[in-house]
Order: sequence, then C-alpha cells, then structure tokens
Amino acid sequence: MSILEVRDLKKVYTSRFGTQQVEALRRVNFTVEKGEYVAVMGESGSGKTTLLNLLAALDKPTGGTVLLDGVDLSTLPEKDVASFRRGQLGFVFQEFNLLDTFTLEDNIYLPLVLAGRNHKEMAERLEPLARWLGIDGLLKKYPYEVSGGQKQRAAVARALITDPKLLLADEPTGALDSRSTDELLSLFAQVNRSGQTIVMVTHSVKAASHATRVLFIRDGEVFHQLYRGKDTNEQLYQKISDTLTVLATGGEAR
Amino acid sequence: MKKGFYLRLALDGMRKNRRLYLPYLLTCGGMVMMFYILYSLAYSPAVQTMRGGSTMTVVLLLGTIVVAVFALLFLLYTNSFLAKRRNREFGLYNVLGMNKRNLSRILAWETVVSALVSILGGLIGGLLLSKLAELCLIRMAGERTGYAITVAPRSIAATFLFFGAIFALLLLVSLARVGISKPLDLLKSEAAGEKPPRANWVLALVGLLLLGAAYYLAVTIESPLTALFIFFAAVLMVIVATYLLFIAGSVTLCKLLQRNKRYYYKSAHFVSVSSMAFRMKRNGAGLASICILATMVLVMLSSTGCLYFGGEDAIRGMAPYDVTVALRYAAPEACSGEALRELADLVHDLSGGREKNLMTVTDVNFGGYFENGSLDLDGYSRILEISSSPSVLEHLRSVYFLPLEDFDLETDRQPEPGEALVWSSGAAYPYDTLAVEGCTPIRVVGTVRELPFRLTTEETLVTAYCVFLPDWAERAGEVQNYCASLEDEMALPETVQVCFFDLPGLSEEEQLRVTENLRQALRDRMEEEDRAWTGFTTNDRADLHSSFFSMNGSLFFLGIILSIVFIAAAALIIYYKQLSEGYEDQRRFGIMQKVGMTGREIKSAVDSQVLTVFFAPLLMSGLHLAFAFPFVQKLIRLFGVSNTHLLILTSVLCFLAFGLFYVFVYRRTARAYIAIVSEGDERR
Repeated sequence: MSILEVRDLKKVYTSRFGTQQVEALRRVNFTVEKGEYVAVMGESGSGKTTLLNLLAALDKPTGGTVLLDGVDLSTLPEKDVASFRRGQLGFVFQEFNLLDTFTLEDNIYLPLVLAGRNHKEMAERLEPLARWLGIDGLLKKYPYEVSGGQKQRAAVARALITDPKLLLADEPTGALDSRSTDELLSLFAQVNRSGQTIVMVTHSVKAASHATRVLFIRDGEVFHQLYRGKDTNEQLYQKISDTLTVLATGGEAR
Repeated sequence: MKKGFYLRLALDGMRKNRRLYLPYLLTCGGMVMMFYILYSLAYSPAVQTMRGGSTMTVVLLLGTIVVAVFALLFLLYTNSFLAKRRNREFGLYNVLGMNKRNLSRILAWETVVSALVSILGGLIGGLLLSKLAELCLIRMAGERTGYAITVAPRSIAATFLFFGAIFALLLLVSLARVGISKPLDLLKSEAAGEKPPRANWVLALVGLLLLGAAYYLAVTIESPLTALFIFFAAVLMVIVATYLLFIAGSVTLCKLLQRNKRYYYKSAHFVSVSSMAFRMKRNGAGLASICILATMVLVMLSSTGCLYFGGEDAIRGMAPYDVTVALRYAAPEACSGEALRELADLVHDLSGGREKNLMTVTDVNFGGYFENGSLDLDGYSRILEISSSPSVLEHLRSVYFLPLEDFDLETDRQPEPGEALVWSSGAAYPYDTLAVEGCTPIRVVGTVRELPFRLTTEETLVTAYCVFLPDWAERAGEVQNYCASLEDEMALPETVQVCFFDLPGLSEEEQLRVTENLRQALRDRMEEEDRAWTGFTTNDRADLHSSFFSMNGSLFFLGIILSIVFIAAAALIIYYKQLSEGYEDQRRFGIMQKVGMTGREIKSAVDSQVLTVFFAPLLMSGLHLAFAFPFVQKLIRLFGVSNTHLLILTSVLCFLAFGLFYVFVYRRTARAYIAIVSEGDERR
C-alpha cells in the first residue's frame, strides 16, 4: 500500500511585485510505498527543496495534491498542520537545525514535549534510541559542543522519536565529512530495514546509492527513476552516475 | 585611490546599518543637547542675576557633571555594541584585501561623521530648547524673565571640546579593537558558538544576600544625615546585587526550573525556560542597567517632585509666621517687657498697622543629653560633634524655659514654684521630674497639649521640651550661671525675646520691604547704647520662599532633565536588545516551525519571554523604589517636607508614568523586532 501519493503537483512562485513567475514544479507524479527508501535527485534549482517543503506541508502547492497515508495535506486546517507534521513526519536537515538553547536530549524531546507526552514516557523512548544511535553519552551536551556527525545523529533521533510514518531528509550528508557521511548513510539503511519509510532529497550520488529507488527531477518534473532491484550500492552508484550524465548532456526521457 | 573613497565607504556602511546608527546618533545628539542646556543655564545671566541664582548655578553644574560622566560611559557602551555588529563587514573588507590601515581610515571617517552630525544637531536642538528650559526653570523657581534668545559662545565651545574628546576616545577604542583582531575572527565573530549558560549558585546567592542586606540597611536607617554614607553603601550594594541577580540569579532560576522535570517538560514551559536562560545570560547586564537607570529616574523624580510640590507646606513649617524677629540677650535677667513693647511698636509703625496675630515670647533655650529624666549639659557641644550614631541622637533634647505668667494655659493645677508644665514635640514627657544639670530639679505637674505658638521644623529636629515655669527668672538664671561656669562658648544657653506676626494681604515684595525696613531700624538701634539686647535675627517667609524655590525648583528641574537623559539611554538599550534578540530569534523561529510548532505557539512563547525580559527590570526598580522609600522620606524631611502622602503620591505617579513610557518604548521597538523576524520568514 502506498503511504505517500503525489499527483500533478505544481508550484509557481510569484516575485514580490507579481511581475515575474517562476515555475518550480510543473507536474510531479509519484508514489512511495510503505517501507521504501526513496532518494530524489536533481541539480540545484531543479525544485528538490520545493518538493520537500510541499511534502512537509511547510508550503502550499499551487496545484495538485499530496496524500500522506490517504490524507490530503492541503485540506488540513492551518492549526492541525503543525500537529500533523510533528506526529506523522520526521525531519533531518542539512544544517541539523538543532536549537542551540537546548541540550541534545532536550532537542530530541522537543516534538514529544509539544505533543504533551509525560517525561517518563519520553525517557523510555529515548533510552534505546540513543543507545542505538551511539549518542547516549552526549545527551547532556549542547549542540555546539559536539561534532557534525553527532549533531546529525541527534537530529535523526529527534526525527525518529515520534515514530513517524515518513522520514524526510533534506541533504542530510551535505554538511558532514566523508566518515560521518558513511556512518549516517548506513544508519539510514538500517532505519529503513527496520521498516521506516524514507524520502531523501540529495544531489550526492553516494547518498542516493543507498536508496531502494532514485527519482530524478529536472525542470520541475520527474524525469526518470531507477530501481535498485538486486543491485549492490556500487552498481546503483554507477547507474545513477550514468543517468546524471545523460541528464547533464541533455538527453530526453525515454 | 580615488578621493573620498573611504568617506563614501563609511557613509555607505552607516546608511546600510541605519537601523543601528540612527538611534545611536539620536542618543548622541540628545546627550549633547542636554549637556549644552545645563551648562549654558548654569552660566546664563538670567539665572545668575535672580535671587538664589548662585545655588541654582551649583545645582546645574553638578547636573552637568552627572550628564558628562554618564554620556561618556553610555557612549562607550553603545559604541561597543555597534562595533560588534559591524565586525562582519570589516572582516569582509579585510578578506577582500583591505589592510588595517584602510579599515582605520573608514572608522575614522565614521567617527568624524557621527561626531559632526550629533554635535551640530545636538547644539542646534540645545540652542532652540535652552530658552524654553530657562523659562521653565525660572518659572519653577517662582520668578519671571524675558523671552530674548541668547547664544552662549562659551557653552558651545565647552560642548564641542567635551564631546570632541569623547568621540576621539571612542575612535581610539575602535581602532584598538580593529588592531588586535584577526580577519577571520572579524568575519566569524557573530557566528561564534555560544557557551551554554551555567548556573552560578554562589553569585546568585551573594546577590540575594546583598540585596536583602541593602534593603535592611535602607529601611532601618534612623537619621539620614548621620547615616548618609550607610545609605550610599546600601545604594552600591543594591547596584551590585541587581547586576548579580540579573546575570547569575536569573540563569540559576532557569536551571532550577529545568531540574524540575515535571514542570520543565511541558510545552508551555519547555521552550520558554531554556531560551530564557540564554537570553538572560546575554542580556543580564543590559537589563540590570535598565533597572538601575529606571530606579534612579524614579527616586530622583519622586523625591525632587515631592520637594517641589511639598514646598509650601515645608515653608510653613520652617517659617510658621510671615515674619519672626528675635532679640538676643546676654543673660535672662537682662530681658524686659519694655524692649518687647518697643519692638511691637516698631513693627506696627513699619507695617503701617497691617500686622496680624502679633505675639511675643521670652525664652531661654539650651540643648543636652537626656536620660531617665535628667539633662546633661556638660559636653553637649562635644556630643554634637561626634553624634554619629542614632542611639546618641535619640537622647538629644532641646529645652525651652518659658515664663508661665506670659501664657494663659489650660491646666488642672497651677504649678507652684519648683514645679512646671511641660510640652513635648515628640512623645509626652514620661517622668515626674526634670533635672537639668546645675539646676534645682523641677517637678513636672502637668503636660501642655497645645503650644500657644508654633515652633519651626528646624527647632523640632531633635525632640523639644517647652517648660513653663512660675519661677522662670530663677531657674533660667541657674542654668545660665552653671553653663557660664563650664567655660564653653557652645554650651551657653540662648536667651531671646521673639516677636511673631503675619502680614496678610501684602505681596511678597511688600513683605520683603517691611522686613528690610525692620532690619534697618534694628541695625540703627544697635548703634545706640541704651538697649538691653545684644543682637537680633529675623526670619521672613517671603525670603525663605524665594530661596527655597530656587533650590527645590532647580533640583526638580534637574531631576526632570536627568530623567530624560536616563530614560533616553534606557530606551536605546531596550531598542538594541530588541534588535539583537530579533537577529537571534530569526533562525530559531524557522527551526521550531519545522519540527512542528505552530506559528501561534512560537509567537506566544517568544512573546512571553520578551515580555518577561523587558518587564523584569521595571518590576525590580519598583521594588527598589519601595525599599528606598523610608530613606527618601527621611531625607526630604531634612529639607522641611514631611508630607508622606505627597511622597507616596509622587512615587506612585512617577512609577505609573515611567511604566507607561516603558510600555510605549517596548511597543515601538517590538516593531523593529517583528520586522527582523519576518525578514527571516521571507528569506525562507
């Protein structure tokens, strides 16, 4: 069963004085099945981040619909959007987006506190998660006191602690060194194997090569997609590279 | 390089940062203006030629010094704030290939431009407003003046010199700052990771204890004169405690709240408490400064306002009659009814028969140390010199021996010789006898509830006993003889015959003329041989009135001017706080939204923090004001104003007015904050 369904999604930005219109997304269609790990690839400016913002209901589409687990996000009243977002979605960002006024522990608790859970339950949820992510010794530290990789793992913990239906990641490896990148990607793969659905926006071939499916976006449309099938990461990596070359040299969709 | 390049860069930089520079220039200009106004008023011919003008000059010069010192400190503070904000820009220039010499030239131009704009602007404002200020001041002192506008070259020169020096100093400080910095530091200085706030229990506790001790001192001070230095100690303690509490105490409180997991992990408290800790760590010093400025404004305005508005009452206390003339005698036996009659006739002639309520009193008065019904005269003058402790002051008494026969007193039993009736300005006389050193003990057989004449507030500063004696001449003689044997000039009792009268319906000028004529007549009489008295003093309300109002009017005026300066400074601090808060919250806003807070939740969390941050100083200053109240009350009593209701009224009114103004500033500056935060919105 599909957990995410995107139909004819369109987003047009109008400049401040309404004189110019930029079409960020023209006609995007795809579905994500439960338990899938989908990477969305594209050049900068291809509309990746716009797409992610629409999936996260941070922005309203100009046309088309996003159905998450059968719920049309655009029909949700404004006041429910935020609670929907923190209940059903988990986010991992390139810049971590941890609040520097909180310890890692409190950053991870944030969505649960907002949902009004009690402290005992929160602690019970955090304990195994933190151990699994290898940050159990860092919980009392502040974001600026730990490394980028550790920050990103805390951000992953924050995204997962609500048990979201969908994990959205926006260039999660963009600000990490290569070792931390490897660690994070294997972590994502592990998360995915435990049944978590992931949609990740990236332009890193390496990151995308860990996914089970790769979508390519060009000029506001889904241009192509690759399935992993039985490929290893290395094989998928090669296929992605080839596709990107075709994209860059201006090939047409087959 | 092209001519004027650096000037253009400097001007550009200031224009781009006008949100920071405009208020800065306005404040500088305001300081210049206030300095000029006070300084030129101090030397204004209109002020110097008026009655009591010299007092006023001194008060105004003191005010000028306060403004000058404050301007120096405050401009240093704002300048460092501006520099922090501009470091990034300089870092960029530096990376683009400008060396420190080039940067220094930009800085120099910036300082020159700021100096010129603010000094010239301030002087123009000062020239325009100084006449208005002069009119206000002179009206407050109860006089009138012409409307001609004067330009005081000397004041202009002084203002230029002083503020020129301040700006030169600011430039030096900025140059030193650029000199020791590294380009990358400049570039990164704003993004540098911030250490999380740590609770400092010791400092918080010290602050709390200091505040408690200071409050205790302020409330328990008995006599404001002798304990003036204790009060200053208390003021210093309050200042230190305020800084400690705002810097360390607030963070500690937040940490304490965070420890309470049940309280902390609630959506209403979670974000607020943790970001509050950070906010207080950054803003503690600024908020403490606001609090102290606010307290100064409140204490200054409420006390000087009370002095001014309570003036009439005070004068009535200090001069219960329109005119008082006292003839002094070498000894009690020299007193005679004849001299008094002569004086009364003189008064009648000089006032053209318009004197009313004329009354004469003969008395011998002296002071001593009182304990268990006996009055120690020996060493009284020595006690006066060393009397620093309230416990000594409590025992001091001034005693008036009055002839019973001169008054028509209501009493159950007429005293016999050796007995007396006593009136007390404080609690009723508690003993059966009054044993004055060197004098036969007097049996007190009754108390007088109402004195037939009025003593001045000065005469009742220490508790006064009026003793009505049937055998006055004998008793007074005994005291006189005993004191003379002490061979102490200071210990000699004062023998006087006093004549009080009112001059209703006469203008102040006419009253002054009457007393002047009276003084002249008495001076003439001094030349003659056949008079029994040795000297005279006069006390007229009209004269007191003008000197009192020139003093209290100028104090109140100064209070208002300094309040304006301090309030403007507080407003600027608030404004800069809002700006820096805005820049920091911009980013946080975005993150919180992404992890699932609604816009409204964020806004209410931020609102509550910002409100707390801005109104904590106001509440704290209200508390300070309340604890300073007993001291202020005692202090203004020294000036002769003892109207407690009036002081409460002025304090409350000042607090309300200041609060209103504070809310106004807060709301205006909140707009700047919202503008910055929503800028961030657009960028996302």
